[in-house]
Amino acid sequence: MAKQGTVQPARSRSCLTTLVLSIILASVACVIAVAFLLRDPDEDTPPSITTNRREVGLALAYSPEKAAILTALVDDFNASRTELPNGKRVVVSATSISPDQMATGAATNAFHAVSPDSSIWLTEIDRHWSARVPEGGALVGETTRYMVSPVVIAMWEDVATGLGYPDANLGWKDLLNAAANDPQFKWSHPSTNSASGLLSTLALFYAGAGTQRDLTEELATAQSTLDYVEALEKTVRYYGEGELAVMQQIEEKGRTYLDAFVVQEQLLVDYNQRYGRQLVAIYPFEGTLWEDHPLALLEHPDRTDDERLAYQAFRDYLLSADVQKRILTAGYRPTDLSIDLNQVGSPISATNGADPSQPSTTLQIPSAAVIEVVRNAWQYTKRRANIFLVVDVSGSMEGANIEQERLALQAFLDQIQSDQERVGLILFASNVYEAVPLTLVSDGRAELSQAFSGLTAGGNTALLDGVNAAVTKLVDLNDGERINAIVAMTDGKENSSSVSLQQLTRKLQAQAGTDLPVVVFCIAYGRGADYSALSALAEASGGFAREGDTATIQDLYKVLSTYF
Amino acid sequence: MTKTQIVFVVLIVVVLAIVGVSYLLQRSGGVQIAKPTTLSVRIVCALPVEPFVREAATQFNAEKHTLEGNPIEVSIVPMDGLVAMNRWERDEMDPIPTVWIPDSRYLVELVNATFKEKLGRDIFLTGGEYRTRPIATSLFSWGIWESRDAVLRAQYGEDITWQAIHDAAAAKGGWAELGGEPEWGYFKLVVPNPRKNVGGLLAMMAAAGEYYQKTRIEVADVTNPEFQQWMKELMGAVTDFSSLGSYSVENLALFGYSMGDGGQLLESDLLTNMEGIRTRWVEPIVIRYPQYITWFDFPYTIWMGDETSAEEKNAALVFEEYLLSPEVQKLALAQGLRPANTEVSISEPDSPFVRYQAQGATAVVPRSTRMYSPDRDVLLAMLRWFDLNVYAQ
Repeated sequence: MAKQGTVQPARSRSCLTTLVLSIILASVACVIAVAFLLRDPDEDTPPSITTNRREVGLALAYSPEKAAILTALVDDFNASRTELPNGKRVVVSATSISPDQMATGAATNAFHAVSPDSSIWLTEIDRHWSARVPEGGALVGETTRYMVSPVVIAMWEDVATGLGYPDANLGWKDLLNAAANDPQFKWSHPSTNSASGLLSTLALFYAGAGTQRDLTEELATAQSTLDYVEALEKTVRYYGEGELAVMQQIEEKGRTYLDAFVVQEQLLVDYNQRYGRQLVAIYPFEGTLWEDHPLALLEHPDRTDDERLAYQAFRDYLLSADVQKRILTAGYRPTDLSIDLNQVGSPISATNGADPSQPSTTLQIPSAAVIEVVRNAWQYTKRRANIFLVVDVSGSMEGANIEQERLALQAFLDQIQSDQERVGLILFASNVYEAVPLTLVSDGRAELSQAFSGLTAGGNTALLDGVNAAVTKLVDLNDGERINAIVAMTDGKENSSSVSLQQLTRKLQAQAGTDLPVVVFCIAYGRGADYSALSALAEASGGFAREGDTATIQDLYKVLSTYF
Repeated sequence: MTKTQIVFVVLIVVVLAIVGVSYLLQRSGGVQIAKPTTLSVRIVCALPVEPFVREAATQFNAEKHTLEGNPIEVSIVPMDGLVAMNRWERDEMDPIPTVWIPDSRYLVELVNATFKEKLGRDIFLTGGEYRTRPIATSLFSWGIWESRDAVLRAQYGEDITWQAIHDAAAAKGGWAELGGEPEWGYFKLVVPNPRKNVGGLLAMMAAAGEYYQKTRIEVADVTNPEFQQWMKELMGAVTDFSSLGSYSVENLALFGYSMGDGGQLLESDLLTNMEGIRTRWVEPIVIRYPQYITWFDFPYTIWMGDETSAEEKNAALVFEEYLLSPEVQKLALAQGLRPANTEVSISEPDSPFVRYQAQGATAVVPRSTRMYSPDRDVLLAMLRWFDLNVYAQ
């Protein structure tokens, strides 16, 4: 009895437990079933890389000079996990490319939105689009601005004082006079594929045409204008890929690198914020241009409403009060007009060599057609160059290295638009061999291309002898009217030259002080390259060294081509 | 098998049956459970009133208005009136919005005329419940930097006229010749790009009106070589059509006197940017009213085609009523617009018309001669001339 008495309650409990568990199980099943019934049947579509059922991607192309602030803002925006009203999260991916590349990329729907340095490029984007899709209407859609910065002539304070700063109203004319009258005066402006480079070029054409507005195709191509521009372009030390690269060189080399250069005000303010007031902004009295950093949606026929909303979400973020204050801290002028540029702590101040009440006037921006004429004419009036490509063909280059090198050299040559440049090719392995003498590109393009495609690897690395041979040839040529430059590349370490590194750097330093400087740009190709030796060579001549690999070598050569 | 085990197995079978049946139902499209339908009101809106309408829409959406139990959601697409007109006419308005608010009623008339040719009927109504109604008004006025205004008045008299602006623009010696500072450079006129902003085109029409001293411009006036030469000299003073684009006063505020000395601009845009201009630059802008007035009435226009449902059209009416309510009309006033609802006074102390009186703003417009809306052919002739003689140069 006692046994039965103990067993029966246990069985009842077990039965009860089973019943409760079963009911819970049934309830869970019902909930799952109901949820399953009510859900959207499309929800299990697999996500794609950029845009999926829960995310919408916004591919943004921006110009390189604002990389620091824009990448930080994009990271913070993505971290904020902003969602559209339909619950999709907006993810912005930003790519830095030059504004003229933007024009071609935009037409192929490579980006949803662009932020070049100036609105001038938006006109270019539409022009490219019209050429591709004549009935396509405008590609540039909704546009906003989130920060602006005027283009200025940055000068070391002592240089500016020597020209009459701060009492005199200085301008392009004073810069050009200084360059024309003093052979030691070093100035530079970027090539015309950036707003500051384009402005400098326009300013030269305006000055050459003797006007400050109404620049027409006829005026821009008049012989007297071209002669004037050509004479002044001869005073340019060399060009460059953009204002950011110039600032990087200024940071590395300091006062000796250049006396004056053309950049947006923000880069000057940023430099002075970090190093104390050393540079001053000259707002040219003849007029300047603004880098207005538009953010534009591209209305490609495939654009979706989600992408438009994603653009608007990112736009609203850039225009938000906190971001606008951050923009001012970085040295830009925010577009939120309630932010006072004269407030205490504003970096746009005399302390940083800037003046928030300037500029007083701007140059008139000609039509897209005239701008195109000026850019083309510049190719023929810019300072010409004698360029030796000094190329490593030692045994270590065998395989993918030499394959990519052939393509990179061809890309460099293709970028040289003016047939009036001279290019030569010196190869080095155990010995040095002049494959193509310095030749006008108009005559030697085919020969150079043939030489590039015929490159074969083998032997040791006589890098210094190769560079030395090029220096000697340029010095013997004695052509001071042109930029004299060497683009040297190696993937290994020097082991076969008769000249020492010390001898060669001394030679380059001595040459840099003459009327015939020879600038050496070096490429350390792959991890085995002797970067310190290449740096020393570049440093001694006023050039610079960069590192590259098989993936980047073509771009690197393209970038270097903008210096000529 | 015990009774308990039988119950357990039965329950498991029932559970599996429920899951299985629900899966099959899901695969076949799910159970249709009636949910309230959101009524979407998509508004293509002219740029000068877009901030007002957007603010009102945000407020409206937050208040969760409904129509017969269905929630109404308003969304705004900013688009210049002229750009929108071209899209309507080329059948490129995709998707068709529920409502269009252009800059001026005459753009609606032009589009209506096009659709009448195609469909044989008006697509926007001028009478009845769905008729076109203005949500606010504004007008062109001169906006000029104070220092430049003083020089111009000393040189050309108290009234700022297009002729005075033309002569200033044509001065070979720039501001120095006019009595201003040499570092001001040449006189720089602010005119929005007429291809992107109907305001640019209407500013050119207003200039034509003063040139001919008449309010109705015809094609022959636009094609007159003497007028074209005069207009070319005038437009030669515009610094940058690519940057000025659509938002001319915002740009004037942002780039200051460096990019523009003045121009005939929308009063509401000038009033909205007054404070920002004061903060950013060392001097204010002043407002002067022109000889001939060009009005903008921003009509709320409901699309009557089949692309939008009757419920959506009615939802659009609900939002229209909301926009015209006195409280919401005060939002328009805060944006420098003249409210369409006359219950809202613009002479109160907090009105921008009172706040910027010292800069020349007035509640009562001192002129009454009104420019007539140009015909389509006149518009096209002016645009063609602009393309060939200004933009392409």
